[in-house]
Amino acid sequence: MSMRRWVPLLVGALVLLVLGVAPTVVSPFILQFLINLFMLAVLAESWNIIGGFTGYASFGNVAFFGIGAYTTGVLLTRVGAPFALALPAGGLLAMLFAALVGLPILRLRGHYFAIATLGVAETMREVIYNIEVTGAGTGLVMPILRSPLPFFYLMLAILAAVTLLNWWLSESRFGYGLIAIREDEDAAAVMGINTPVYKTIAFSLSAVFAGLTGGVYAYWITFIDPDAVFKVIITVQMIIMAVFGGAGTVLGPLLGALVMASVSEWLSTHLVTLAELFNGLIVILVVLFMPKGLFDLIRHRPFSLRYFVKNLREYRI
Amino acid sequence: MLILQVLINGILLGGLYGIMALGMSLIWGVMNIVNIAHGPLIMLGAYITFWMFTLWGWDPFLSLPATVLLLFVYGYLLQRLVLNLIVRAQLFITLLITFGIEVVMVNLARIFWSSDLRQVTPTYAGANFSVGGLTIPYVRLWVFVTTIVLSVLFLLLMERTRLGRAIRATSQELRAARLTGIPVARIYAVTFGLGAALAGAAGTLWGMLFPITPIMGGQLTLKSFVVAVLGGLGTMMGPIVGGLVLGLAESFSSTYVGPTYPNAISFGLLVLILIFRPTGVLGKRERG
Repeated sequence: MSMRRWVPLLVGALVLLVLGVAPTVVSPFILQFLINLFMLAVLAESWNIIGGFTGYASFGNVAFFGIGAYTTGVLLTRVGAPFALALPAGGLLAMLFAALVGLPILRLRGHYFAIATLGVAETMREVIYNIEVTGAGTGLVMPILRSPLPFFYLMLAILAAVTLLNWWLSESRFGYGLIAIREDEDAAAVMGINTPVYKTIAFSLSAVFAGLTGGVYAYWITFIDPDAVFKVIITVQMIIMAVFGGAGTVLGPLLGALVMASVSEWLSTHLVTLAELFNGLIVILVVLFMPKGLFDLIRHRPFSLRYFVKNLREYRI
Repeated sequence: MLILQVLINGILLGGLYGIMALGMSLIWGVMNIVNIAHGPLIMLGAYITFWMFTLWGWDPFLSLPATVLLLFVYGYLLQRLVLNLIVRAQLFITLLITFGIEVVMVNLARIFWSSDLRQVTPTYAGANFSVGGLTIPYVRLWVFVTTIVLSVLFLLLMERTRLGRAIRATSQELRAARLTGIPVARIYAVTFGLGAALAGAAGTLWGMLFPITPIMGGQLTLKSFVVAVLGGLGTMMGPIVGGLVLGLAESFSSTYVGPTYPNAISFGLLVLILIFRPTGVLGKRERG
């Protein structure tokens, strides 16, 4: 490996180290905020694999999050399995589910894919509602773990892994294959890329991380029900964070998650019941004024209001 | 006899699904926007009807034109002031912005009308008549007749008027339409207005049959999408046929399988159609 490839890894390791000692100095409130931030960041990075690199606008990734949450939850409470077993099981099942559903669904393109994935997520919610073992509509209550530290380190570890994977995608042959599919799928196929296999792997990789976070989330938050872990808005948050930060980049989704977590934290403490309404407004404004994301804004110099006006003009009729 | 009753129930419901999907299919076909806020537009129509019914005592069938008009204006302004700005952006962007609009509408509805279940119950709501052992509720029959009338009016508008021709021209070839002097930005706004108006009409009719809640829209967006795809995009009759198919599928499945999986039925049907009849469904390449 050349120097150029080592630098980001070193910087990453350093950031990880700093974050690793953070729990010893920050307040419990900040600690909870950080866990939530890591979760959002994992979701954004995992969506980035299928949505950002591969260019498939999945509107159903929350299904993997929910499957992970419920698998871990059911194994913990109903079977009495240890968390060390229940968590990977959740990730694995989410991955298998993605591979299975992906085979037919990834043949669809554009809007059809988007809505089909939305439908898969909604159907999963309905299925969970009707199954006894998952507690149906009443939900599942987890055993309570007093210390937040395990959740902090688990989320951080998953985040590090998914970020590393995104970085690898941006540098590797496999990642270039996904980007080729995004740019022109037919051309990619002609160039000898086995597009169905590539897409299915990307979808499954995306799923495994969403599933793992779902599992940690379930244990952390101690109560899950179908409406909470299969909420469409979770998928939309993933997309917003990735698109806002810069879809298809390694650091963009992290930046998007940081902004999103801070904004929604502020909204939910200051506006409480109106938080969701303002979230919606923010989605609209971001899409209108910064459709190319934060990185594009940072790169654009000198900074001026004209940037937003230009964006407004670019896609209008 | 049961099977005949189930058949009739399905057809009567299917008309409503058809008109829901007609608006979505129009917006999708002309502007390539899959409008996630379509369900909330139906919800808005339902609440407007509810207000006119409870506050002023207007009969839902008579207040229908007012609802349709209000929704048209709302849709026109939404497209003219907001959606026209990003109509040529990539797929995520248009999906995201309509999602943002959905969230805002749902939350405003919570503020204006609370999360309670609302119902529009005119005096004739429970009445029905029997023909040869079949029971037909008056409301459902009149709802069905209204959907047919509205569909025919819509078809005439699209096929026989200058406006309809301008909309079809814009949908087929934007640049050529613009060159022949069609004001495309305004046509887009009118198109969205028409789609919203149809959604509003569907909302009025829906509110007479089912409870109204702020979150009813999500499910209706999905249903409208399924119906639009089932019938096939790009044809005027498609959504009507698709609506009947979905209505029948739901009616039969809830009688013979059980009513707990409404969305699963819709999506099972969607996946089957996509697998077995992909032509005309996969045919059109997306922009962006």
